[in-house]
Amino acid sequence: MLALLVNFITISQGLAALSPSDGSEGVYEDLKWKAVLCCELPFAQTLDDGLSEHPPVGQCQLLNATKPEFSRNCLDILCWLEGEQTNLICNAKSHRAAAAASLLTVRPQLVVQMNILSDEANHATQCAGEDTAMCSISLHVNDATVSLNISISLNGSIALSPKMQVSTHHLRRPEPPVSLHYDVTTKGEVIFRWSDAQPDSDAISYEIRYSSNSSLQQWEVVKVKSRSWVPLNELSSGIRYMVQVRCQSHINYWSDWSQPFYFTLDVSYIPAEIFTTPGSEVMVYAVFHNRSWSASKAVWMLNGQVKIPESQYRVINEQVSAVTVTVDEPGFDTLMCCHQWGERFKCMIAYAKIYTEGMFNADITCQSRNSEVDTMSCEWSKSAWAQVRLLYRQYTSVCETISEIEGSEEAEENMECPSGAGDHRECTLRNLSLFSCHKIWLEVEGGRGKVRSFPVYVAPIDYVKPSPPSVLEATTLPNKTLSVSWRRPHLPVYDMQYELRIVALRDMANAQWKVIGPLLEPQAEIQLEESCVQFKVEVRCRRLNGSGYWSDWSMSYTSVVYNRKAPEMGPDFWRVIQEDSVRSVTNVTLIIKQPVLAGNPYSCVEGLVIEHQASGIAVWSNETTLAQFHSFQWRKEAHTITVMSRNALGISARNRNMTLLHQPKRQCVRSFSAVANSSCVYLSWSLLSDHPVPQSFVIEWLDLKKDPEKDVSLTERLQWVRVQSASRDLSLCRRFYGSEEFTLYPVFVDGEGEPVRYTATRGDPAAYILLLIIAFLSVVLFVTLLMSQNQMRKLMWKDVPNPNNCSWAKGMDFRQIDTIENLFPHSEGLTACPLLLVSESICEVEIIEKPLPITLEHEKDNEVPIYKSGDQTITDSALLADSSEPLSLEASTAAATPETSGQSSVTYSTVLLSDQPSLLRKQQESLSSSSDEGNFSANNSDISGSFPGGLWDLENHVCSDSANPRHSSSYNSVEEFSETSDQDYEASESTGVAKDLYYLEVNEEEEEEEEEEDEEEIEETQGEQEKNEIVMKVDARPLLEGKNSTAIDSNNVSHSIPLYLPQFRTECINPP
Amino acid sequence: MYFPALLYPCILGTLSLVHGIPVHQDSLKNLVKLQADTIILRIKDHNEKLKLSPKLVIGGPELYPEVPADKPLQGLGSIIDTLTTFQKVLQRLPRGHVSQIRNDLSTLLGHLKERMNSMRCTLKEPANEGSLDAFLENNATHHITFGHLALDRLKRFMQKLIANLDLLKSC
Repeated sequence: MLALLVNFITISQGLAALSPSDGSEGVYEDLKWKAVLCCELPFAQTLDDGLSEHPPVGQCQLLNATKPEFSRNCLDILCWLEGEQTNLICNAKSHRAAAAASLLTVRPQLVVQMNILSDEANHATQCAGEDTAMCSISLHVNDATVSLNISISLNGSIALSPKMQVSTHHLRRPEPPVSLHYDVTTKGEVIFRWSDAQPDSDAISYEIRYSSNSSLQQWEVVKVKSRSWVPLNELSSGIRYMVQVRCQSHINYWSDWSQPFYFTLDVSYIPAEIFTTPGSEVMVYAVFHNRSWSASKAVWMLNGQVKIPESQYRVINEQVSAVTVTVDEPGFDTLMCCHQWGERFKCMIAYAKIYTEGMFNADITCQSRNSEVDTMSCEWSKSAWAQVRLLYRQYTSVCETISEIEGSEEAEENMECPSGAGDHRECTLRNLSLFSCHKIWLEVEGGRGKVRSFPVYVAPIDYVKPSPPSVLEATTLPNKTLSVSWRRPHLPVYDMQYELRIVALRDMANAQWKVIGPLLEPQAEIQLEESCVQFKVEVRCRRLNGSGYWSDWSMSYTSVVYNRKAPEMGPDFWRVIQEDSVRSVTNVTLIIKQPVLAGNPYSCVEGLVIEHQASGIAVWSNETTLAQFHSFQWRKEAHTITVMSRNALGISARNRNMTLLHQPKRQCVRSFSAVANSSCVYLSWSLLSDHPVPQSFVIEWLDLKKDPEKDVSLTERLQWVRVQSASRDLSLCRRFYGSEEFTLYPVFVDGEGEPVRYTATRGDPAAYILLLIIAFLSVVLFVTLLMSQNQMRKLMWKDVPNPNNCSWAKGMDFRQIDTIENLFPHSEGLTACPLLLVSESICEVEIIEKPLPITLEHEKDNEVPIYKSGDQTITDSALLADSSEPLSLEASTAAATPETSGQSSVTYSTVLLSDQPSLLRKQQESLSSSSDEGNFSANNSDISGSFPGGLWDLENHVCSDSANPRHSSSYNSVEEFSETSDQDYEASESTGVAKDLYYLEVNEEEEEEEEEEDEEEIEETQGEQEKNEIVMKVDARPLLEGKNSTAIDSNNVSHSIPLYLPQFRTECINPP
Repeated sequence: MYFPALLYPCILGTLSLVHGIPVHQDSLKNLVKLQADTIILRIKDHNEKLKLSPKLVIGGPELYPEVPADKPLQGLGSIIDTLTTFQKVLQRLPRGHVSQIRNDLSTLLGHLKERMNSMRCTLKEPANEGSLDAFLENNATHHITFGHLALDRLKRFMQKLIANLDLLKSC
């Protein structure tokens, strides 16, 4: 009987103490320990001699496992690790077991016994079996040495093995390397590095494989012995590489491949992080792994914002650039090395970080809120590149004594902003005590606590931003007072001061807030310029004594206007009718004149009620604010609109109606004309006699100042005034552009009459100026001629006496002479004189002018100056219904004297009726045009000319107003009375209305100069008139006719007698 | 006689099919456009605060392929895939950085995933997770330029998404 006794003894000890053959002949192969144990047993004696008291003991020895000797008393021993390599399994198998079992007459009994011998854990395992025994022992440490003892027992004989030792370290693969990374040298070399997993690794060689292909089909393998780094200089930039490393132990076991390491080479910085102190120079290298990037084209950027001067660069080699910088202030900065790319710089993600030790100024400001939960929000400024933490520490004492406490044990622990600083640059602390001091500062992440901001010490109670006041109430009182009251916030409890701001509701779009304060009480009364105005009111508060912030402005509150009664009358309004051809509807926009708010402080107008009545049946109304416009669609039926004023107490009782009719309108205007200059337009009209008088008139025109291309709607461009029914003229003074079209609407109770339009046009200013220049040159030429002729005259007529010195003129005062009869009192003796027309009325002038002084008043709103007559002021509103009389001038006859040549009363009028437009123009030819003809024209009178010390004084002119020769047109400028164009002249001639006027000019030399000036004016006026075509109305009676003839047409004598004043006194002999 | 008997099942079947189809396509488009516009605006604000030199070009389109750049849109699935990548990238930024954009993106992604579920689309597994992780690992420490690159590409993706809102109707 063969009995095997196997003892396994495991001993934990260091790996280094063992070698693969230590203490035995076993070998490590394929992660197993193998040995062959053969024993010499006193087997025969035992069988022959029977049992003895002491069984014989045999000897065993280990043979080379690679050369097994097959003996009947040999055992194969195999040990390996199982599970998570925490169990050692050893198996001893007799060769006899492999042989035929029948060879054994008696089954041997194998007893295995294992003992663990360890200083740390003394545990053993035993196992036994017949021919084969297998033991398992758990390992408590990674590497251990197991002592194995095997005893074989066969038929009472025992053989003991020598002590065998198995190292579990050699039964496992080595761990793959870890900490794969790469470094870049300042010369641009890429050094790949790794570390052994175990510090006492017996790795003797490594293999590195890397691939740029994501499919990992092509590996580049590099073998390295005895060092844990390898230069990888063949890598390309911009490609993502995966690298793995494995190691080989000294018993030739290869580890698994390490975890892959991915990396992409673009730009590397050496060093990547720098710690420095203010003022110290630092040098940073940048390696361009992209071979197409050249260090000579490197651009260094500080904090991604500022380009560092190139003088601070250094080119190390083709791929490496270096820069030297000095950072003066503590804090955090970055350096980026980019590559010039046209006008721009191409950069990679990586940058170098510079931590400059010390404290920087972060401008930390805090604002606290004292409400249900006290909070404090702090903001700061910092470089966007720095990643910071907000830290704070809370003290129980006040901030003034904090320097004494700091560093003592009373200080609390540092706390960090709970939400993280992030990139918000603000942090809100909650549930804090407003009355305790807080120390707050920033720390730059990665700065090792040495880069931090200056701390601020904050008592939150000093930085409270209160809630805005509430329960705001405001009333506009009739005594021009705005009364406002509000309620202060409950917290904080200290005394408050207030600021109030108001703005008139109607001026919200343009007006600025008016701020009133500081106020110490939660109420205020503000004096206003006018009553009835609604105001938008807001209020805010802050601490009265001590620091703190203003609260936000409160919610806006619109003041209530105090009223005692409803408005008395509704506003005036007009309409714009626009056809929408696309939608086939007619839009009507009401243009509502704003009521006078300050009219009655006890019945303010707060809004409008617009009542519609269509076809006399349907009635509806819209309630609006004080709007200027109101639009609706008109269905071309009889539609009556009433606009009423309203306030909280009711609506107005006296209101204006408007009836829109689509049916043909009645005509009642006979003529409509205008006289215009650059600043005023004088409008006049007359009515057909057999028609009823309208209720009022409305005159509308477009404001050409407002550009229609700039989205100014027609309703905003349209200007209008209402004129009372008794008026027949109107003066509008404002800026006109010369091409306004005025439309006169007669308004009846039941609708509008047929409108009449009139276009006042003015010429091109450029052409006007050109004509002025031409006129000026003409005057210069004229003066030159005049002066030369004067010289001639002096030579030719120096003997002609002054008529005052003549005998016949002695005793006569030419100033007193009114008529020819007075001049030539010899009624019976002068009739034979062909040159004197006795008892003829030379001309008749009737000038009716209102004697009331005219003052100019600018209307406040629309800047339309209007005439003020006497004590009665004509305003737009007054023109609507009041009985004020506008300025009227009636010139029934124009004075035809030489003196009036400078103030020609030429007027053109045009009446355009919409259905029967007609043109009526009357012309009275200016005398100025013939002045030089009368004086100097070669083909004219042989008695033309004037003489020094002429016959008559200027005051002696018969037909002039001696007091004021220009009186007939005193209210008009020269422009208004400029001469007509040739075309107009021809037209007037054809109508036979205009008559030529002749005169005899007697001038003294000085008066010639005056006349020259007048003529210059006239010529200017002529030019201007030709261009501008100022059309004026004249009601002139023909005075003279015949243009070039000195003989009087007998046919015309009966109608008008040509004026012919002698320049020379002729001795007329009365017939005997 | 048999016609109504055949018609009713057809109607019922049609109704059941209609029930499975999302009915708020336009509202989703409006919602997505609104959110995308918001994200674009926030990115612009963020870049203005950063005050980087306008001459800087961080990463060309050929670089850093891990962060989607000019990736074509193919449908809801690809949109969600791309947005998920952006979400992972932004999540690697330090705490508190671009947190609002992260929230907006997360909400947008939630809406799209909900729509995808209602359309019974299958979401494919994201590819190249490993390379993305490696990219994040290597570059997230440079959070300013890293975030700038990611946000710039996210902005362009949002603009492309706004221009292709009809793709939300397909998986």
